[in-house]
Amino acid sequence: MNIAVYILDIIIYIGIFSIVAISLNLEYGFTGLGNFGKVAFFLIGAYTYAILSQAGVPFYLCLICGGIIAAIGGLIISLPALRLREDYLAIVTLTVGEILRLIVKTESSIGGGVWGISVKRAISISFPAGFSAINKTVINAGVQIVLIFGILALCFIVLQLLTRSPYGRIMRALRDNELATESLGKSRAKYKAQVFMLGSAIAGIAGGLFAQYIRFIDPYMFMPIVTFTVWIMSLVGGPANFTGALLGATLVQIFDRGTNILKDYITLPIDPVNLQYILFGVLIILVLFFRPQGLLRESKFTTRPLKLVYEKRRSDTSNKKS
Amino acid sequence: MKKEEAILQIKRASKHFGGFYAVNDVSLEVKRGQICGLVGPNGSGKSTLFNTILGLQKPDSGDIIFNGTRINDAAPHQIYNMGMVNAFQIPHIFPSMSVLDNILIAARDYPGENMIESLFLRRKWQEKEQKLIEEAMEILKFVNLDMLGFALTSELSGGQRKLLEIAKGLMAKPTLFLLDEPAAGVNPVLGKKIFQKLQELTQEGMTFLIIEHRLDLLFEFASWIYVLNKGIIVAMGQPHEIVDNPDFYQAYLGEK
Repeated sequence: MNIAVYILDIIIYIGIFSIVAISLNLEYGFTGLGNFGKVAFFLIGAYTYAILSQAGVPFYLCLICGGIIAAIGGLIISLPALRLREDYLAIVTLTVGEILRLIVKTESSIGGGVWGISVKRAISISFPAGFSAINKTVINAGVQIVLIFGILALCFIVLQLLTRSPYGRIMRALRDNELATESLGKSRAKYKAQVFMLGSAIAGIAGGLFAQYIRFIDPYMFMPIVTFTVWIMSLVGGPANFTGALLGATLVQIFDRGTNILKDYITLPIDPVNLQYILFGVLIILVLFFRPQGLLRESKFTTRPLKLVYEKRRSDTSNKKS
Repeated sequence: MKKEEAILQIKRASKHFGGFYAVNDVSLEVKRGQICGLVGPNGSGKSTLFNTILGLQKPDSGDIIFNGTRINDAAPHQIYNMGMVNAFQIPHIFPSMSVLDNILIAARDYPGENMIESLFLRRKWQEKEQKLIEEAMEILKFVNLDMLGFALTSELSGGQRKLLEIAKGLMAKPTLFLLDEPAAGVNPVLGKKIFQKLQELTQEGMTFLIIEHRLDLLFEFASWIYVLNKGIIVAMGQPHEIVDNPDFYQAYLGEK
């Protein structure tokens, strides 16, 4: 296999999972909602894209619809989130993800059941004759990278602006102390629902991108391990820092692929597939032990005006001293 | 509005946990512009009564009427929107954020708290935020926390957290402010200063219902006192009347 194609494939995966990881950062890192059913919304987005694109709907509408339907799913899951403690919410969301996958698996009328469903690429280029297969693949991958990273950039900017605003302050407050936030006039029902909807919509869009990139999806691609991988990305990079999520997604993806390649060259006394999971476990333990806030920390300032006041004060005091 | 009008009325409210009546058939009234004190020994139901007023716990019977509206079933954030704010006995702070952030959360009518406006009307909320920061700094100056505006709240001492809790309440500009032991853990001079400030604020139409064990302070500033014991109001009156009331001594000191 051509090494360039392989690297492009890694980059695309990093892009797709970065989108999911930043949506988890929004929910868990900023708002404290431990969503262990991330894969459910990824699945909703992917299947919506697949079914709609088979019906001939243009790709951007497929992505948007995937986002909207995932957001509705997020709204539904925010209802138990209001009443449950963080640990119980994790259990509920985890089961929701599995239930949804099993429904898709058994109901062959939805996206072909166990046989899966094939998906059209969002943008397909008709090449003139004489193009080598390798060149075609590279150009197609390039188009994919532009599409996926464009959407990633958009999501990143929106979330960055949102969390560095009074709205983001309320999200952090909900994470720190729900009761106090509620008694200061912020309806937790409203904020939790909004955050879940936005986070799920973003995960849904990522699901659509995933479906159109690999061009075939089946229920076995949406096992809970997808959720856990995204969690590792978020925890490693820094749950309350979106740049951290990108970093985490990159590191975990490279780690994943790296160990995959490595096992072909090193002979081990144990099953290399299990070793990969063991290493992931070790990675999480190390990060939680030595750097629980992740590689990148949460920003000190919630909003720009606050930062400006701080800088002004600091320069004032240093002027006085000098 | 008349000054003598009651802003908060509790009519025969009860709250029990199993067979234990924490609040038993309590009726009381807080008049507008008043500092009203609520005293009683530990476990007499003062904080439970506060929780039922604030919507954190629903009363099992009776009515709680705030500003003419029955608020038995209102959620805490709705009660805040109606103008009632509280300061918890154990400060409920947001440890991962700065002191200023903690106070800014309490601000009312803030456009940036809407998802759409925080994204697309950045100029609007940023201007408002600048004003709010100045306001917050004033309040911080008053509670002697102005040098700590950008410190992480988790680094504050117990007494400073208490002051922050009061500052948050003041930022919300309530019409009725419920304080649960505002002077506990605060140095005596500042404790008195807080009560003086509260008295000033009554001139602007704010009303206070205060639980306090520092009776010297409370009796100096409050104009009406309720004494709660085992969930029942055993005495009420002006501070000098309460001091002479044997029921008060029995409830508080266990003496006759």
